[in-house]
Amino acid sequence: MHKLLMVIRREYLERIRKRSFWLGTLLLPLLMVGLVVVQVLLADVETGKQRKIALVDGTGRLAATFMSKLGEEKNKDGASSYSVEVVPVKGSVEETRGALEPRILSGDLYGVITAGDDVDATSNFRFYARSVGNVFALKALQRALRESVVGLRLEKSHLDVGAEELKKLLAPVEMESFEVKEQGQAKKRGFDEAYFGTFAFVMVLYMALLLYGVAVMRGILEEKSNRIMEVLLGSLTPDELMTGKILGIGLVGLTQMAIYIASVALLRLYVGMAALQAGWTGALDTISPSKMAYFCIFFLLGYFLYTSMFAAVGAVCNSEQEAQNLQSPLVMCLVVPMVMTFFFVANPDSPAAVIASLIPLFAPMVMFMRIMILTPPFWQIALSILLLIVTIYFFFRGVGRIFRIGVLMYGKRPTVPEILKWARG
Amino acid sequence: MHPLESAVSLRDLVKTFGSFRAVDGISLEIPRGIIFGLIGPNGAGKTTTIRMILDILRPDSGEVRVFGLPSGRQVKDKTGYLPEERGLYRKTKVLEMLEYQGAIRGASPAQARREAAGWLDRLDLGDWKSRKVEDLSKGMQQKVQFIGAILGKPELLILDEPFSGLDPVNQDVFKDLMLELNRGGASIIFSTHQMETAERLCKQIALINRGRVVLEGPLHQVKARFGKNSVLVEFDGDASFLQTLPGVARVDDYGGYREVRLQNGADPQAVLRAAVERVIVRRFEIVEPTLHNIFIEQVGGQTHHA
Repeated sequence: MHKLLMVIRREYLERIRKRSFWLGTLLLPLLMVGLVVVQVLLADVETGKQRKIALVDGTGRLAATFMSKLGEEKNKDGASSYSVEVVPVKGSVEETRGALEPRILSGDLYGVITAGDDVDATSNFRFYARSVGNVFALKALQRALRESVVGLRLEKSHLDVGAEELKKLLAPVEMESFEVKEQGQAKKRGFDEAYFGTFAFVMVLYMALLLYGVAVMRGILEEKSNRIMEVLLGSLTPDELMTGKILGIGLVGLTQMAIYIASVALLRLYVGMAALQAGWTGALDTISPSKMAYFCIFFLLGYFLYTSMFAAVGAVCNSEQEAQNLQSPLVMCLVVPMVMTFFFVANPDSPAAVIASLIPLFAPMVMFMRIMILTPPFWQIALSILLLIVTIYFFFRGVGRIFRIGVLMYGKRPTVPEILKWARG
Repeated sequence: MHPLESAVSLRDLVKTFGSFRAVDGISLEIPRGIIFGLIGPNGAGKTTTIRMILDILRPDSGEVRVFGLPSGRQVKDKTGYLPEERGLYRKTKVLEMLEYQGAIRGASPAQARREAAGWLDRLDLGDWKSRKVEDLSKGMQQKVQFIGAILGKPELLILDEPFSGLDPVNQDVFKDLMLELNRGGASIIFSTHQMETAERLCKQIALINRGRVVLEGPLHQVKARFGKNSVLVEFDGDASFLQTLPGVARVDDYGGYREVRLQNGADPQAVLRAAVERVIVRRFEIVEPTLHNIFIEQVGGQTHHA
């Protein structure tokens, strides 16, 4: 026990004393906040500009309503976000539109909307622009167009509706979403909020698992290449060395998480009251104590699972270049759930999500996502944790055997079947 | 010899790597309190044997006992080990490095620190305690590695090629330290292929070749077994005739003198008479064969030796 503690002590102090640890700990959140701020600022600058839209109206009767409807889109200074230029049809609608293309390409026009004369036909309305990726702009244009076209359609169906009446009929139907977790405790929460809140934590989890896994691997590679391994093994058993290293570096990770969670908790205290008043409870719920506890649990379980495998990679390789190939399947196992966050957040109860959250390799991230979005049945959480613990136990045993053989081998890297044979002992 | 009197006792030790038998049935009793030489050419199985003594490798079959105990955790605490492949954490401060090495052998960090600081002062490295290992010269690093092996006053000290790469000054420092620790009661296993050093330091030796013990016993007995049938000759003139004399097994040229190994039963006086007739003899001495020559005889021809 004394020896194990001494290894943990060294691995912990060695890293925590480094300036790079503190720089990384402070810079990561700053970087993430910075990225968000920059994006918001950039988006603001973009929406602040007035966009010129050309309307080629084959019906000849849309222009007025479309202009007034689109005029309702204001930027935050209160000015109109769009200006509309009505282009009279010369020849066909298509010819007129073609003539406008140079102005789109030069950037003078943000886009051109064409309307054929049959308001009921499919593909009667079209939008042409250099980029059609701006969802917000598309939504605004579509809304203005829809409201103006509905007027025409009503007229065509011989329903005479006054302007006031029409406005009432077309008043948008907003739907607010609430999360039901406990009886009588439904909370207002939107998808965006749920998605981004979860994604931020999953991202942190992913980065932490990857960074600390690689740190363990590097530590072992360093001991091999410095030829210090055998010196240490004169005093330590391979198990003590491996376990001490994994626990020591894990403690560094926990320290970092504790710093983050403490700052989030402080933030929560600080802005908590204001946020509650603003009805901003959903975001606060993302950082509730029970969720933070699950975050720590799944971080630790994921950490032990992945570092044991990274340790095995370190033990059988001689250089980081060699380790690159062997570690890539591990990295893939981490990347897959992360890129599928959107799917899991949208369908947290789908069979795919349930199964993935029980497979130990994906469980730390997927089960955590599900917990963030809804409260999965307790047996699923318990089973997922149990399976993880059992897997970690067997991994540690197998990796311990690989470690014992691998760390003193220099020269040719063993093949994967050879490594698996060692693991079985 | 009773195993309890032994520092290390090995019985029928076998270790194979794939199809290669690195250690092929080694049995040895290494007594307490002496400097024991484990000698043999490169690749003979010395390091593998040492690793099994320290439980770094597990034997395929056979038994290791250290101070009567089965090899394992307790053994590591009583043993100081300086491997042939030895290194240090480059970015760590010297004193912290040694503190760690002492601590993993059972001392508290503070204890280890105190002891390490004492050794550093003694070996003229007192000013380097809080410098990083990578700032040290190679010779200084070697001293630090040696201190790391002897921290905590180990009862058994295993030194694998301790003198390789050392300058003569450090060689002397290390040799004196070894003798001092040995006088203090430490049993020392000293593995080397440098026969001259082994001959000067070891009381008892085992010669290992191809995973087997070829020769073992107290140095004087080993030598006596080969008889006093070597002759040192120093002379002026052409020496080529020595090789052609009847009864001469081999001639080793050491520059200043020649060592002539005789066949069993050959008469040294005949060599002297023949020499006197041809050259001016300045020195003629009947000696025991050197360990070097015994080594060459036992191993030579089969294996390349360095």
